[in-house]
Amino acid sequence: MLRLAMKMLVGDRAKYAGLLFGISFTSFLVTFALSYLCGFLTRGFAVVTENPAANVWVMDPAVESTELTTNIPDSALSRVRSVAGIAFAVPLAFATVDARFPNGRFQSFRLIGVDDATLFGLPPLQGGISATVLRTPDAGVVASGGTAGKLETPVSKAAQWPYGGPRLDVPARRLAAGDELLVNDHRVVIRGLAKSLPRYPPKPLMYTTLSNAARLLPPERHLLTFVLARAAPGVSARELATRIKAQTGLKARSSADFKADTVNWLLINSEDVGDMASMVSIAMLVGFGVTGVLLFMFTTDSLRQYAVLKAMGADSRLLLSMIFVQSGLCAVLGTGLGLGLCAVVGKIAMLEFDYPFRMMWFTPIFGGLMVMMVSVVAAVISARPVLKLEPGVVFAGR
Amino acid sequence: MRCTGVTKSYGAGDAKVMALRGIDLDVRHGELLMVVGPSGCGKTTLISVIAGILDRDAGECRVLGRDLKRLGTKERARFRGASIGFVFQLFNLLPALNLVENVTVPLLINGVPRKDAESRARRVLEEVNLGLRLDALPGKLSGGQQQRVAIARAMVHEPKLIVCDEPTSNLDHATGQTMMQLLRSIAKSPGRALIVVTHDPRIYDFADRIARMDDGKIVEVIEGGGKERLQ
Ligand SMILES: Nc1ncnc2c1ncn2[C@@H]1O[C@H](COP(=O)(O)OP(=O)(O)OP(=O)(O)O)[C@@H](O)[C@H]1O
Ligand SMILES: [Mg+2]
Repeated sequence: MLRLAMKMLVGDRAKYAGLLFGISFTSFLVTFALSYLCGFLTRGFAVVTENPAANVWVMDPAVESTELTTNIPDSALSRVRSVAGIAFAVPLAFATVDARFPNGRFQSFRLIGVDDATLFGLPPLQGGISATVLRTPDAGVVASGGTAGKLETPVSKAAQWPYGGPRLDVPARRLAAGDELLVNDHRVVIRGLAKSLPRYPPKPLMYTTLSNAARLLPPERHLLTFVLARAAPGVSARELATRIKAQTGLKARSSADFKADTVNWLLINSEDVGDMASMVSIAMLVGFGVTGVLLFMFTTDSLRQYAVLKAMGADSRLLLSMIFVQSGLCAVLGTGLGLGLCAVVGKIAMLEFDYPFRMMWFTPIFGGLMVMMVSVVAAVISARPVLKLEPGVVFAGR
Repeated sequence: MRCTGVTKSYGAGDAKVMALRGIDLDVRHGELLMVVGPSGCGKTTLISVIAGILDRDAGECRVLGRDLKRLGTKERARFRGASIGFVFQLFNLLPALNLVENVTVPLLINGVPRKDAESRARRVLEEVNLGLRLDALPGKLSGGQQQRVAIARAMVHEPKLIVCDEPTSNLDHATGQTMMQLLRSIAKSPGRALIVVTHDPRIYDFADRIARMDDGKIVEVIEGGGKERLQ
C-alpha cells in the first residue's frame, strides 16, 4: 500500500515536480546560507590559517579576535621568548593605514608588519618573487584580501596627482612591482603581490617589515600586536599557552583556540551574521510556504481518493502512513537534489567568483533537518483533512 | 442484511433534513436487490448506512449478523474492508495506479501480500475481460472499461455484500446492459448479495427484487415478476 502511495504521488507529475522543487529550494537555500556563513567565518581567522607554523598566539589580554586588536609592549617578545618550551617566537604588528595612489585616490589598508630578520608572516609572493624583496628600502607587498578593484593604479603617468587635483576616473590597472604609494606622506614601493588568503571583513593588505612599519606609522606607544610562537617538540600548544599566560600575564591562545575565539567574536559582533540568519529564515519560510501549500494541495486534491480508500476499509493509521511516506519521499529526494545543487553552485561560486563558501560536515545535516521539519509540518497539516474526511463523500454525485 | 425502522437525518435545527424516515428492508443471500426512487429520496443515504459508512440515528440494522453501529471506528473500517465491496457512480479509480494496482487495493488493505494480491487482481481482471490491458492507467480506458475495473475491485476480496450506487448512469445503454450482466453473474455466487441503487429503468430486468423509495421511506418492494409495472 505504501508503494502505491508513492506511485500516487509520483503519478501527479505537476504537483510532484512542484513539491520536489519546493523542498530542494529549501534545502539548497538553508545549506547555501550556512555554507556561506561558514565560509566567511573561516576568512575571519585567515591570518591564523596563513601561519600554520606558529601554534600559539600571544596578545593583549583584552583581545578576542584577529579583527579588533590592540598593541602590547615591545618587551613582550623577549618575555615570551624566555618561557620554557618555545621553539621560536616572532613579532607581528597590525595597523590600519590610508594609502594614497598616484592619481590621488586613497584606500584604507591593513598594514601587517613582519619580523625583519625572518619575514615570518609574509605569505609567498605571486610570480615567484623572493620574499627578501621586503628588505629593500621602503618596500611593501600588497594583497587584495578578498576585495575587488581596490588595488587599481592609473595606467598613465600623465594622470598623476597632485598636479591639477586628484583624477579618479582615469584608466587604471592593478598594482604591480615598481609602483609607488604614499602612506602618511612616506613613500612605499610595491615589490610584489602576496598570495594571501581572502579576509573577512574584506580589506586590502599591505605587508612591510616591522622597522618599515615603524617609519610609516605615526609615533605610537606600542607597535607590536601579536607574538607568534611555536611550541618545542613534546610540548602541546595549549600547554605552552598556559605557561606563557602564567609567566607573562599576556593572553596566549593555541591557534585552534584563537580561531574559535575569532568565530565566536564574529558571530556576536558581525552584522552579516544577522543578515545570514534572516536569509536562512526567509529560505525556511519560502520552503514552508511552497512545500506546505503544495503537499496540502496534493492531499486535498486527492481527498476523494483517500475517501475511496477509507470507504474500502483503510484505517487512519494506514492513511497517515501513506501521507508520511509521500512527504518522506519528497523530503529525501528534495534534500538530495538541494544538497547536490548547493555543492555544485557553491563550488562554482568559490572557484569562479572567489566566494566565501565552505560546506562543513554539519551544514548538510542542518539543511536536511530543516527539510525534515518542513515536510513533517506539511504532512501534519495535510493529514488533518484526510483524517476528518467523511467516507460518505465517495457516493456524492460529483 | 436486515433493517427495521432505520432513520437518518443530516444537519441540525432549521437546516435539519430527514433523509431516512423509518426503513424496513432485508436482503437475502444470492439476490440482487435494486433500490429505485426519485432524486433526493435517500437512496445513497440508505446504502451508506447499510455499508457502515454512515451511522443511523435510530432503528435496527444488522449486516452479516453484525450491528455496525456498535463497532468502533477501527473495527468498522476493518469490517468494511473485509466484507463489503463498493461500486461508485464515478468509478473512483485511483488515476495514478494501473489496473492491477487499482484492483489490489482492497486486498492490500486487508493485509494480503503484494505478490498474491497482484496475481488475484490479474485473475479477476481477466474475468471481466480486461486481461489485455493490465498495465494501462484508468484514464486511458472508456467509461465501460473503467466501470469493469471498479467491479473487479469490488469483488476481488470476495466480499459478502456489494453495494453499487448508480453503476450505469455514466454509461451508454449497451455498456450498461453488459455491466448489469456482469454484476448479476457475481450475485449468483452463493452467500453473496448485491444492492444496486439506480435511476435507470432499462436495467430493472436484472433485479431479483426492487425496493421503491420515496421521501425517506420504502414505498413498496416488488418481486421479480412485477417489474413491468414500474417501467
Ligand atoms: N451530507 C449531507 N448533508 C446534508 N444533507 C444531505 C447530505 N447528503 C444528503 N443530504 C440530503 O439528504 C437527502 C437524501 O439524499 P440522498 O443522497 O440519500 O438521495 P438520493 O436518493 O441518493 O438522491 P440521488 O438520486 O440524487 O442520488 C437529500 O435531501 C439530500 O439533500
Ligand atoms: Mg444518490
